[in-house]
Amino acid sequence: MLDQLLSLFDALLKQTGLAHLYWGNFAMIGVGAVMIYLAVAKKCEPFLLIGIGFACIVVNIPGSDLAQPGGLFDYAYKGVSLLIVPPLIFLGVGAITDFGPMIANPKLVLLGAGAHLGIFVALILAKVLGFSLSEAGAIGIIGGADGPMAIFVTMKLAPHLLSPISVAAYSYMALMPIIQPPIMRLLTTKAERNIQMAQLRKVSRLEKIIFPVIIAIIVNLFFPPVAPLVTMLMLGNLFREVLIVDRLSDTAGGTLLNLVTIVLTVAIGSTMSAKTFLSMQTVEIVALGLLAFVFGTASGVVTAKIMNLFLKTKINPLIGSAGIASVPIAARVSHIVANQENPKLFLIYHAMGPNLAGVFGTAISGGILLALLGAK
Amino acid sequence: MAPIPDNVEGAFLISIIDFILSFVIISGIGVILAILPVVNRFWVIDDKDLKGGH
Repeated sequence: MLDQLLSLFDALLKQTGLAHLYWGNFAMIGVGAVMIYLAVAKKCEPFLLIGIGFACIVVNIPGSDLAQPGGLFDYAYKGVSLLIVPPLIFLGVGAITDFGPMIANPKLVLLGAGAHLGIFVALILAKVLGFSLSEAGAIGIIGGADGPMAIFVTMKLAPHLLSPISVAAYSYMALMPIIQPPIMRLLTTKAERNIQMAQLRKVSRLEKIIFPVIIAIIVNLFFPPVAPLVTMLMLGNLFREVLIVDRLSDTAGGTLLNLVTIVLTVAIGSTMSAKTFLSMQTVEIVALGLLAFVFGTASGVVTAKIMNLFLKTKINPLIGSAGIASVPIAARVSHIVANQENPKLFLIYHAMGPNLAGVFGTAISGGILLALLGAK
Repeated sequence: MAPIPDNVEGAFLISIIDFILSFVIISGIGVILAILPVVNRFWVIDDKDLKGGH
């Protein structure tokens, strides 16, 4: 009787996930829990980390079918892998972004290219570590500090690395306020950090309407590989700037953006199963991602300092680091660091220029990478 | 176009080309932005005429 009960209990146990749990599942459940903790307690990118963390926990419970073929998370992942979700994210981002600061001060767009040295440092080091060139390109784009672009390029070059690359990109974007300030202070003098910048000119409605149309034409003409993302960014921005379709603008930047954010975050989290995520490769990618952010921040500040050698009206080099992209976190960091130095400094609007240029800088770098590596 | 070799030299090559081209192209965008205010000479749009939806 007892034997029968025990074998019945054993059979029952084998049907649950309990029998298949191993240390890796516990470790990844811990990672998911830390993400939710950071989102809730530290307010680090809660819109991203809650969904990613929760999906990470769920997919590491053996027996959960959500990420299996046919499961809901699997369909969310299909939205990402078929490159439907990243362009929709950009549509929403375009609808809530004012490109005025970038249009008002065109010379600052150079910082959008200057702050991307990290992409190439990570790319070269990844190759040295033994990754293929396509994998190294995908890892390098973490330094572009642009989540949807990192996903887009990775899905084209090395889809099997989506999980560690997207987690590294979004995690470091959330950690910008910790990563960037020490580098910015190290590379600037007190006098440089105190440079007051002149007020920007007012950008007309007509300029704001023409801007997304021109950029869409340029990108589709010269960078077809990344055109879907930037085109949707510009469409969202056109909805915003024409003012007459406020319902479309509100939907793209509100409800739609929230919906695709849910899909994106659970899709990324669902790729974080212990069996695929816990590897030396992941550790290397996460380390390279950090290096990419460090070098990107540094190169942005140094580019601003180099520009000051030629400019009559000096710019505060603290806005250079905002060229890394990660809108608007990096611009906010520039403003906060300057404000801590001198409470009278108000750099946020100035930093938004290079910050937005950084989005284009990442798209251009990603487009060139895809073209050179022959990705379709 | 000759394929980029899948080695460290290839990684350097792709990085140098990409970094320089990024500067060139983003400078081009900067030039377009610098001449964008010219459009204001031809047409002025009043926000009030656009607001209110369709």
